[in-house]
Amino acid sequence: MMRISSLSATYPNGFNAVKKADLKLSSGEILALVGESGSGKSTLIYASLGLLPKGSSVSGKVFFDDIEFFALPKEGQRKIRWKKVSLVLQGTMSSFTPVLTIKRQFLEAMEEHLSLTPGEAMAKAVELLEEVGLEGNFLARYPHEMSGGQKQRCAIAMALCCDPDYLLADEPTTALDVITQAEIMNLLKGIAKRRNMGILMVTHDLALASSTADEICVMYQGCTIETERSDIIIKSPKQPHTIALVRSLSMMEE
Amino acid sequence: MSFWRLDTLFLAFLSLLALLTPLLGPVNEAVAPPFCKPLWLDHESGKPLSLNAKDNSLSFTWESKPPKTFSVKGTVTFEGVPKSAALLLAGPSKTYKLVDLAGYRNFDVDIDSRDVPLKLFLGLSPFVDVSNVIFSERGAYSLFIASDVKAHLDLNLNIYTGKWGIFGTDQRGRDVFRLTLAGIRISLLVGIFATLIASTLGMGLGLFAGYLGGLADSSIMRGVDVLLAIPTLPILVVISGVWGRGLWQIVFVLSIFSWMGTARVVRSLTLSLREAPYVEGLRALGAPTGYILARHFIPEAMPLLLAQMALGVPGAILAEAGLSFLGLSDPLMPSWGRMLHEAQVFGAFTSGAWWLIFPPGLGIASICLAFISVGRRFEEMADPRLREMAER
Amino acid sequence: MTEEVASVESLTLTFDKIDAPALADVSFCLNEGESLALVGESGSGKTSLLRLLLGLLRPTRGKVRLFGQPLDDVDGEELRRIRRKCSYIPQDPFGGLPPTLSPLQAVVEPLIVTRPNLKYEGTNKAKELLSDLGIEETLWNRKLVQGFSGGQRQRIMLARALITDPKLLLADEPTSMQDVSTRMDLINLLKVYLKNGMSMIFVTHDLLLAKAMTLRGIVLYRGRMCETGPTHLLLRDPLHPYTKALVSALPKLGKPIEVKVKRRPLPVGFKGCPYLALCPYGFDRCKDLPPMKQLSDARSVACFMGDTSQGT
Repeated sequence: MMRISSLSATYPNGFNAVKKADLKLSSGEILALVGESGSGKSTLIYASLGLLPKGSSVSGKVFFDDIEFFALPKEGQRKIRWKKVSLVLQGTMSSFTPVLTIKRQFLEAMEEHLSLTPGEAMAKAVELLEEVGLEGNFLARYPHEMSGGQKQRCAIAMALCCDPDYLLADEPTTALDVITQAEIMNLLKGIAKRRNMGILMVTHDLALASSTADEICVMYQGCTIETERSDIIIKSPKQPHTIALVRSLSMMEE
Repeated sequence: MSFWRLDTLFLAFLSLLALLTPLLGPVNEAVAPPFCKPLWLDHESGKPLSLNAKDNSLSFTWESKPPKTFSVKGTVTFEGVPKSAALLLAGPSKTYKLVDLAGYRNFDVDIDSRDVPLKLFLGLSPFVDVSNVIFSERGAYSLFIASDVKAHLDLNLNIYTGKWGIFGTDQRGRDVFRLTLAGIRISLLVGIFATLIASTLGMGLGLFAGYLGGLADSSIMRGVDVLLAIPTLPILVVISGVWGRGLWQIVFVLSIFSWMGTARVVRSLTLSLREAPYVEGLRALGAPTGYILARHFIPEAMPLLLAQMALGVPGAILAEAGLSFLGLSDPLMPSWGRMLHEAQVFGAFTSGAWWLIFPPGLGIASICLAFISVGRRFEEMADPRLREMAER
Repeated sequence: MTEEVASVESLTLTFDKIDAPALADVSFCLNEGESLALVGESGSGKTSLLRLLLGLLRPTRGKVRLFGQPLDDVDGEELRRIRRKCSYIPQDPFGGLPPTLSPLQAVVEPLIVTRPNLKYEGTNKAKELLSDLGIEETLWNRKLVQGFSGGQRQRIMLARALITDPKLLLADEPTSMQDVSTRMDLINLLKVYLKNGMSMIFVTHDLLLAKAMTLRGIVLYRGRMCETGPTHLLLRDPLHPYTKALVSALPKLGKPIEVKVKRRPLPVGFKGCPYLALCPYGFDRCKDLPPMKQLSDARSVACFMGDTSQGT
């Protein structure tokens, strides 16, 4: 289980983006962190991995299984990132260097964190690509030669290369069309079940969260105001902000 | 980001100096003998002296080794016509008659110790140093008129010891410090005007080339290529031979050869701005091209332009200094490059007279550094990526 | 008899050196006071269609008419006059606003540009629109380059488009960056203008949003029309396999998403149904382009399956 306990984060310019947030992610399940722009949801997952810009202040505790992340030295934290928990960034532009082929970027990630021979690394890369529904020959492509959906699948495959226990995804399907979005969501569901992996997904789309995630955590103005199983939270939301969100969605669907 | 930092303060100070120096008077006149050392450098010679005698006489003491030269200039008026009168300089033991004033009602005195007539009048050989003889002793001296009619004096006695001022004098006896100050004006004028004209030209051509495209674009860019291939300095040499050596000739030529960089950069910017959706929307509403260029493209190009200008000024200043150093500038123009040229020609480099070299050299270096620093800050404002690097 | 505001006939657009057309054989007609949705994902040609409507692009084939005037037959002054009755909201909120202006200046600008001599002095209308759209007064004079979120920019672009009281609004994903709560405000504001006689072409990939905003819709895939009809029917009873896929891919509260697609690479220069790239069915005859079949007064489908009389 991944646990975030009373996490607060402030940016260098003084903006307090996250205020005492609590979160629990169980293995094999998908938890969706839902909030509007400015609610602090992206900040929360970057803060929990120690990835906020220099000068930010973070307080609170983050546990990956029983390991307390912030208590570890810098080197220990580096080992946890990518091996125990990995990250899929918002906007596929950020995941890839435009001047290298996918193969180079994959191998670079794997050589850094595992010690495989080039042959073993290649075989693993092909295996991962097939797991996300792409053919092995995608390795030879450059990022600009792939569509948005294909890039996102690659990014997920790269995030899985060290067999992490947890995957954090920041708005994985914004900027993708609905059909590709549906495919990526189903892919994530399959990965979570197959690998018994816990997936924490940040999104602003409550409907998307409710159809994919097992549990939903709603954030509002930096606080985690409500966490509940997704089917229950839709039927009976308790907090006023959650109620408002659910209501505006049902209005759209009428 | 605060505007006033060291570089902008320095430039503002220099501009103030440039504005005020003309008030100090003409700079091309000799104020002291040539090749005087700075006051604070030479500890053996005495201090130079400048005294004014009114009415009858002037007394002073001389306690150091004999000065290099001295001069007496002014007028003597008698209340009548004297039958015998003379201007005398009396030392501790001897008195010297400098000039015979008998028979004159008014006399304009203009004596310099180097004058050969004076040497002959004093009965000395033309190869002797008069001040060495007269001021050979240390003690009290006085300058006075001996006549049988009352006389009124208005004389200036100047004693030169081979030391003068903060930076000494050059080969013409001009105060090097004053020259250095005057050089600020020339450098700023050339730098700013040349860059201003070049930038305006470059921005205009860049905007046209980028926005209109097609034939206009190709022809302007080919022009840029041709001009970039031409080396500036040889052309400047030819032009100064043909057209004469003046400040504005240099400004003109530098403008013609510096607009290309700006044009290219502005053209790239225009090309990317042209594709922006809001430009399309404005064209759909029927906005005229001139409106779009003036209201949107020029303001967006401003930070870039300011950076280009600030970084172009050092180039112009150095070009002018280079030309002047080669001797291709107006000799009457007190520019730093010219000072360096004259220093070199008259052997300052070989004789180690560093006070003739450092002031103009440091002046050029510091003004260029200041402009580059300001330009760098403009660049940071224009390009957000550089700003991030600066903030880390 | 309501006037025709915009119409296109067999509109085709091909770019140089690119084999597949951006738009192929698109036809529709929009009358005064009507709102039409163009539904499709990126690459469907919807943005090119808007630019063709404004005359910013020339079609390779086909005709475009705005307010009854064919665009290829109209001179500069008349074209300008027609264009001033339209407003265009581009898709990109960061490139769609001039960065050196402030929101107030950006919203007033269309009024300046559309007047002769470029003179206009008022700002009250702009201020009203900005506050209706939720932009606080403290932000009105801050330069746009100094950091406004995508959602705020979209709202400013909407104000900029509505200030001229256009007869025709061409909006390309105008609410994509809004939070769910603010989206309803924008939709309601647009509805007010629609009620006052504005016509609208609303481009989106979200069928639910299309239903909230418009009465009629056209579904586009890779530049071709797949299906047309009332938007609520497109949602409730989709006929074309692409529309069906779009509807089933929509996340619904509490229900898992199940989309049936089969990805097939199509050879270059393929002249059959473009949806064969994703279609879970895909029969032999789909190698020929299915014609657009008019099913009833309002509905038409371009699919051999939607043609119940001919079977499979």
